[in-house]
Amino acid sequence: MKRRATDTKHVDIAADRVAKTYAQAIVEAAEAAGCRREVIAELGALAREVMPRVPEAAAVFASPKVPPEEKARIIDRLAKGRLRETSVNSLHVLARHGRLGMLGAVVDAAERLADAREGRRQATFTTALPLDAAEQARIVADTERALSATLVPSFAVDPEIIGGLVVRVGDTIYDQSVATALSRIGGRLHERNIHAIQNGEYSWPT
Amino acid sequence: MANLTDEIASVLREEISRFQAGIDVREVGRVLEVGDGIARVWGLSGVMAGEMVEFPGGITGLAFNLEENSVGVIILGDYLQVTEGDEVKSTGRLLSVPVGDAVVGRVLDPLGNPLDGKGPVVTDLRRPVETLAPGVAERSPVREPMQTGIKAVDAMTPIGRGQRELIIGDRKTGKTAIGIDAIINQKNSGVKCFYVAVGQKDSSVAVAIDTLRKYGAMDYTTVIVSGASAAAPLQYIAPYSGTAMAEHFMYNGQHALIVYDDLSKQATAYRQLSLLMRRPPGREAYPGDVFYAHSRLLERSAKLSKELGGGSLTSLPIIETLEGEVSAYIPTNVISITDGQIYLQPDLFFAGQRPAMNAGISVSRVGGAAQTKAMKKVAGGLRLDLASFRELEAFAQLGTDLDAATQSRLDRGYRMVELLKQGQYAPMEVVDQVLSIYAGTRGHLDEVKRDEVADWEKGFLTFVRDQMPEVRKRIDESKELDAEGERMLEAAIAEFKRQRAAKAGGGAKPLAAAR
Repeated sequence: MKRRATDTKHVDIAADRVAKTYAQAIVEAAEAAGCRREVIAELGALAREVMPRVPEAAAVFASPKVPPEEKARIIDRLAKGRLRETSVNSLHVLARHGRLGMLGAVVDAAERLADAREGRRQATFTTALPLDAAEQARIVADTERALSATLVPSFAVDPEIIGGLVVRVGDTIYDQSVATALSRIGGRLHERNIHAIQNGEYSWPT
Repeated sequence: MANLTDEIASVLREEISRFQAGIDVREVGRVLEVGDGIARVWGLSGVMAGEMVEFPGGITGLAFNLEENSVGVIILGDYLQVTEGDEVKSTGRLLSVPVGDAVVGRVLDPLGNPLDGKGPVVTDLRRPVETLAPGVAERSPVREPMQTGIKAVDAMTPIGRGQRELIIGDRKTGKTAIGIDAIINQKNSGVKCFYVAVGQKDSSVAVAIDTLRKYGAMDYTTVIVSGASAAAPLQYIAPYSGTAMAEHFMYNGQHALIVYDDLSKQATAYRQLSLLMRRPPGREAYPGDVFYAHSRLLERSAKLSKELGGGSLTSLPIIETLEGEVSAYIPTNVISITDGQIYLQPDLFFAGQRPAMNAGISVSRVGGAAQTKAMKKVAGGLRLDLASFRELEAFAQLGTDLDAATQSRLDRGYRMVELLKQGQYAPMEVVDQVLSIYAGTRGHLDEVKRDEVADWEKGFLTFVRDQMPEVRKRIDESKELDAEGERMLEAAIAEFKRQRAAKAGGGAKPLAAAR
């Protein structure tokens, strides 16, 4: 089976574990302050929208050369008054421990954690051709009904599946793609002929 | 060419028309790193310990370590074909192997794939490789004998069906030979045999298989091979899969014998896996559960109760020691698990005593109950006598003057040692063993020269077979040596001695003339 385009994200187990720990602390602190969603959204906006636009800032945050006090000053200037207190404090904690560079991973982990706590599951829908909004809504609704779960959908396009739909929820894949069906037919033909050859029942084409 | 295209098209059409496009549901993970027969997999969050997983290309693996963020998988197959980023599928099944009559007479790898080029193993019977051993209520005491055909073993450390008897000794002391002889001796007993070769040189395994074939033993034997070049995961599971195949016969009311050759190499393979998986090392760097690895394996050998069909699985695990060191970790473990051990010593081996069994420290804890009455009667004190003879012999080497009693004990001992020597691949029937040992323990050999003992024995057995078959028949049928049988046997020995003396004295007289 070939590696799917959607699976190629690099995984660093050690970083993942560290990010999870910070994410849990942040989610719990935000919960205590009664603003879980907001804090995650603010940090998410910072990590995904602000940072890519100002690569220099991201470099400063990630660099071990910049002392933590300097980073703290930048955070204060940047975020104080604009973001919630919990968000600012979270950034300070990350800066103090030299983990500001992994803000993106922490936000990802926090979102997963928050989803798990609210009973929502991440789902990736892969199709060969892009879907329009109505189709997307219908597929998500159908899948939610079939799995009786609330999904956080994301959509991907991979021409290699040829047709059909592949849904990934957590670690489980529901695969109704043409590519998989073809490879199953191929496997079955292959196996049957091998058995026939080994049992001496195969009629060789002349 | 057009014909061929048509044919292929029709096969495809047929296949497509029968194809049911169901949704393929699978739980997946991704290979993060791979090497030395193990893989670390990210994902597979629902996989269970010991569950079978599938790599691309049909290579199977076993979930070995479940960690917080990843799963450690041992790869049962060619791990060089697995690469980083590969998708790993969980199967929801346990590892299983084909069992039943289809595996008999075959040479298989630990997954049940044929290695002998005789085509696929066609059966739909399968058994999980790891199963729970029968419990207390499902067992019955060991009662029937498992004859190895080796005089020294059957007389001094008798093995019963359902027993675990360890064969332990240094390299090149004849450990495998005992296992192979025991298998060859099962020829007419209906016992199914399994020879599990773990970490052995492929050339030695080929020799063993060839020997089994030559003596007609492959008709009822399965050989499971995971040689020295096989990956550690395969060496680790080989004994379990061999046991699964043997258990099938046990649970169907039949009898099976399994030889694990050898468990020290399996322990080494398991140590390798555990260290690669970063399990903490314990004594001699073996993981903490290496005892459990062996105890759960050997506990599966059992004699089942009558309600379950009364089948049995006898096992002969082999352990190789280094320089006779039985107090190393693995030997002590396996000694404590098994119901006795046959200890083979290099100095005895080189002194020509083969099998090189040390009578003093070889024991069988349960086999006595399984010995036939006749054998029990003739071999009663043999083991202790022989052990005390060895002590006496060492002592006698110091001085020259010995009193008559001591000298006669020594003489008896020397003759018994000679009598217990036995060639390889020459198993003996119980009744012949009884006849020989009777002659030895009752002092009938005391007058025979030491180097003529083997010849005397051979002649005597032929004599009984040819000229006095009723003695043999009586013991064989009753499995007992009563007063009448003993009298007949004494008469036979006396007659044989007379004939032998006459032959030596110049020209043998025929029996009729002597009467």
